[in-house]
Amino acid sequence: MSDIWQGPLEKLNDYCWRIPKSYKPGMRVAGIIYADERLLKDIRQDKAPEQVANVAFLPGIVNASLAMPDIHWGYGFCIGGVAATDPEEGGVISPAGVGYDINCGVRLIKTNFQYEEIKGRIKDLIYVLFSDVPSGVGSKGEIRVSEREEREILVKGAKWAVEKGYGTEEDLECTEEYGAMPGADPLAVSQRAYERGKAQSGTLGSGNHFLEIQVIDQIYDSKLCDEFGLTLGQITIMIHSGSRGLGYQICDDYTRNMIHCLSKYNINVPDRQLSCAPVNSSEGKAYFSAMKCAANYAWANRQCLMYLTRRAFEKVFGISWEKMGMKLIYDVAHNIAKLEKHIINGKEKTLCVHRKGATRAFGPGHPALPPRYKKTGQPVIIPGDMGRNSYLLVGTQKAMEETFGSTCHGAGRIKSRTAATKSIDADALLRELESKGIIVKASGKATIVEEAPQAYKDVNEVVDVVHKAGISKRVCRMRPLGVIKG
Amino acid sequence: MMKKNYEFLEHTADIGIRVKAKDLKALFKNIALAMFDVMAKRNSDLSPQSSKLKKIIIKQRAGSLEELLVNWLNELLSLSAVKESIFTDFNITKLDNDNLEAEVFGEDIKNYKLNTEIKAATYHQLKIEEKDTGWQAEIIFDV
Repeated sequence: MSDIWQGPLEKLNDYCWRIPKSYKPGMRVAGIIYADERLLKDIRQDKAPEQVANVAFLPGIVNASLAMPDIHWGYGFCIGGVAATDPEEGGVISPAGVGYDINCGVRLIKTNFQYEEIKGRIKDLIYVLFSDVPSGVGSKGEIRVSEREEREILVKGAKWAVEKGYGTEEDLECTEEYGAMPGADPLAVSQRAYERGKAQSGTLGSGNHFLEIQVIDQIYDSKLCDEFGLTLGQITIMIHSGSRGLGYQICDDYTRNMIHCLSKYNINVPDRQLSCAPVNSSEGKAYFSAMKCAANYAWANRQCLMYLTRRAFEKVFGISWEKMGMKLIYDVAHNIAKLEKHIINGKEKTLCVHRKGATRAFGPGHPALPPRYKKTGQPVIIPGDMGRNSYLLVGTQKAMEETFGSTCHGAGRIKSRTAATKSIDADALLRELESKGIIVKASGKATIVEEAPQAYKDVNEVVDVVHKAGISKRVCRMRPLGVIKG
Repeated sequence: MMKKNYEFLEHTADIGIRVKAKDLKALFKNIALAMFDVMAKRNSDLSPQSSKLKKIIIKQRAGSLEELLVNWLNELLSLSAVKESIFTDFNITKLDNDNLEAEVFGEDIKNYKLNTEIKAATYHQLKIEEKDTGWQAEIIFDV
């Protein structure tokens, strides 16, 4: 492990710590990290807190540079970071505040099955899913599109998939932004990005992306579970994927471009990877339009992945997905920038909110929520590692007040991929998981080892913090039964 | 199989490497070799160079040496995805502070087992240094 971070962390309360603005000259606001004392020890192990301080340099940043308890060392921004900038005050947009995998996100699907009914079929399901859902590095899909159609995907997002018959209107209602951000401009996307994205619709990808069959093993709020139609022992499915090569290329294209904006707009940041441009500049607007294209592509991708999953279930059980009750609970983005209205010092402001490894968590009554979730607050989906748990939470009013309506996004890495590869044996790990009743299929053993549970923080501890801090609320917990890894 | 010409740096989420070389051209070449070595392994049952290598010409311009290195590697990653190739040899014909020209040679990706998807090379903690014995670089890849 690298050196322990020695900077100042002032305790605000049991779940909130501040890096004062005075820590480094150039910080425009303080840094705030959500964590308890236990997690803080892990957080000090790498350079993530330094990155929280670096993000505080961004022009126009409002309130504070925020970090969630799953924070870990990224490049430029930390993973688990939230930063909002005010375009009217010269606020910037930064590709690093979104990441290469634009609109990497998760969706949660429920079923009518109880674990006891299908526990003998999990293996069949995983094998069919593994063969029918393309996964792995550079995987290519069977859902092939022409370049004209690809442009349509970039504008319409998940709606494109629904029009093709890969889903329903209800799926769109249960997707953040209804599956497409308005204002996506395909002309802002380079030819190379098109080529890189062409063959990859309906593919899972690799690394930490996965498809998981789960069972609800703990209910925290039975009233909310009733609202969502969820009960103890019920089978759910979780899909984690993003915009694939198209997103990487867009991030690369605009990071290249924005390196030159630092001198053009006289922006002082301590890490070149934090390259950025004013939201209202031509460069900022072009990036935002292109980012929306990748975000929409990712929503179409996850919609296609859900379609393939429903089809695989139909193949195994011989009944329609509708009869199996395979309804989408919600789909959230956790690498994205949005223009959102927030109340700052009693005044409504339109801010550019970056969520890099953080999830939107809008509270009850928010206008962006579909009617069905107006009362509950926005469903928030938190995937854990393949050996532990995942969670369904809801957004809260407190998140609106403290974190620009944001919360954590997952467990957060604790061990580097190289350290994991050195210390973990793939076959032993697979046996251990199988003894816990978890079947894993992956296209390579390298991924299994890199993504081993030991490489992650305990998601239970992470969720405990966001729940107790009040920035989201626990609904129920799932545990994995079968996992497909890219 | 290539002898490893690089070492890993510790980074929680991503992969960092340190590469050494006698001069700048060799440094750029070695980093590219290391990047593709992290990404993919050639199938062991194939005879060496059983398929014809495809040649591509790359030209990059940038404002600094660091920028040139990041652009070079990201251009290779991008071309690797689009051309469905793994690049195995690099002949850098021109390299100064703001210009790079190279011939790169790739083989069909089908001949490889892919291990790690590298999304991009980043500027985060990027170092290019001239030492007594030659050149050294440290770079972090987003994976």
